Amino acid sequence: MTLGLLVLRRLAAAGAVLAVLSAVIFLATDVLPGDAAGVLAGADATTADRAELTRRLHLDESPVTRYLHWAGDALHGDLGQGQVGGRAVNEVLGDTVPNSLALTVLALALALPCAVLLGLVTAARLGGRADRAVSLVTLAAAGLPEFVTAALLAWAFGALLGVLPRVSLVDLGERPWESPEVMVLPALTLAIVATAIATRLLRSSAADVAAAPYVRAARLRGVHGLRLALRHLLPASFAPTAQVVAVLFGGLLGGAVVVESVFNYPGVGFELAQAVANRDVPMVQGLSLALCALALLGLLCGDVVAAVVDPRTRRGR
Amino acid sequence: MKRPAGGTSARGTVAGGAVGLLVAASLLGPALVGGSVSAQVGLPFEAPSSAHLLGTDVVGRDVLTRLAHGGLPVVALALGGTLLASLVGVAVGVAAALSRGRAGELTVRVVDGFGVLPAVLLMLVLATGFPGSDLAVLVAVAVVGVPFSVRVVRAAAQQIAASGYVEVALARGDRRSAVIRRDVLPNIVRPVLADAGLRFSAAVHLTAAAGFLGLGRSAPAPSWGRMVDENAPGVALTVWPFLAPVLALVVLSVSVNILTDRLATILAERS
Repeated sequence: MTLGLLVLRRLAAAGAVLAVLSAVIFLATDVLPGDAAGVLAGADATTADRAELTRRLHLDESPVTRYLHWAGDALHGDLGQGQVGGRAVNEVLGDTVPNSLALTVLALALALPCAVLLGLVTAARLGGRADRAVSLVTLAAAGLPEFVTAALLAWAFGALLGVLPRVSLVDLGERPWESPEVMVLPALTLAIVATAIATRLLRSSAADVAAAPYVRAARLRGVHGLRLALRHLLPASFAPTAQVVAVLFGGLLGGAVVVESVFNYPGVGFELAQAVANRDVPMVQGLSLALCALALLGLLCGDVVAAVVDPRTRRGR
Repeated sequence: MKRPAGGTSARGTVAGGAVGLLVAASLLGPALVGGSVSAQVGLPFEAPSSAHLLGTDVVGRDVLTRLAHGGLPVVALALGGTLLASLVGVAVGVAAALSRGRAGELTVRVVDGFGVLPAVLLMLVLATGFPGSDLAVLVAVAVVGVPFSVRVVRAAAQQIAASGYVEVALARGDRRSAVIRRDVLPNIVRPVLADAGLRFSAAVHLTAAAGFLGLGRSAPAPSWGRMVDENAPGVALTVWPFLAPVLALVVLSVSVNILTDRLATILAERS
């Protein structure tokens, strides 16, 4: 299969998945709750107010009509408007997505070299002392919920040592990388979790490579340690690494919701958590859909990169 | 494959003990420790004293009482969600494995689509639909687990279905339900258990995060996750209201992870 065809097929599949997910998001948030207009209008609204609001929000139409309306607008790039504060969802996305992406990329940049190194070193000698120690530590670190890691880091560096800000306060209209110290703790939290997960994934894929005949031949020639890892294991691990990165990317976007909430980091996850707390349904729908699209895009990029560096993965599926 | 060294199984035993202790404490805590979880018994953030062994929290409630009651939503919702996911996973996975034609493939594709949704995102979306309800958290945990369970169960059941005896039983004219009950289900118990362990480990993450994000039953209901959030601002005054739920969550999630990893290894070795 040529690369172009692969990309097209994956794009079509991602589009189909996104369509299903959009229906799920809409169904879960919009169809099930009861009197949305009543909640929004408040306790002392008149019947006329409520009727007016119902009409304005298209609540008098059937759920299917409303979904098609919403999805049609989304296809044209209009995700609607939040009910709280009246901001356009697109505007919020434009404000927050770059911040979240910066955080995710920074966390990946920190985690990936560590994970590749640890994965290769442990895979080179499975069951050895280094392998057992690293496996235990990564197992424990992967076991920690992100917000616990975040809260512990914030406590240690913020309250005990007082060297880093506990809350990522960014001035209005400013980007977090303009005051980089606010990014350290959120990025570190995500990097710890990502390193632990990626190390475990890479270890198992590198372990297969380490058992291959050519690696045995290299060992017999006297190649060992870091040289073995870098010259013989690393090149064969590129494709799995690309896919691990893609999986991590989606995981980090999800994890970012929690971590951003811990540090009040001005990302899309923090905004989403706020919207949920405010019961701002259109905002939740728009932001969720955008996050799903981002996660799917990450997986797609991972597949394409894997296909470029390792033609074997182009076959099948 | 070499047998794991002795240290590994000792680690599994310790983790198993810790999990058993914490799960039991979470489920029984509300019955054993009396007192109100919402009554103000002192000033905010009082240091530990003989009256309040872990001090008081952000609005002056007894931290020990809330700690004893706060494990229940984390553990019970994780257990319930895992059970639900495993049941659905077994039903859909076995059906997909035994179905002829493209129906099985299609089911798996659809279920896989849900796997793309980040878990926390799904939980937030459901919580918007059902505000202040533990049901949203339970369903989120289950839905997040189902794609993985279906994949594992289907792979295991396909292996069984392709082995001679299922084909013989079907050819002999045995009813499908009888074949599933007698021949398929008993043989996929191990992978299903191993998978349920891994799902439970992920579920604990989610239920803990749910409390932290203020999802599920609304305040003042205690949850370890919510206690971390509530009491973090007071660490300069007294650290225990913050550290106690953090430690409970650290020990629970790490030991669950180690135990389920060990369990999966043991079950894989035996089959």
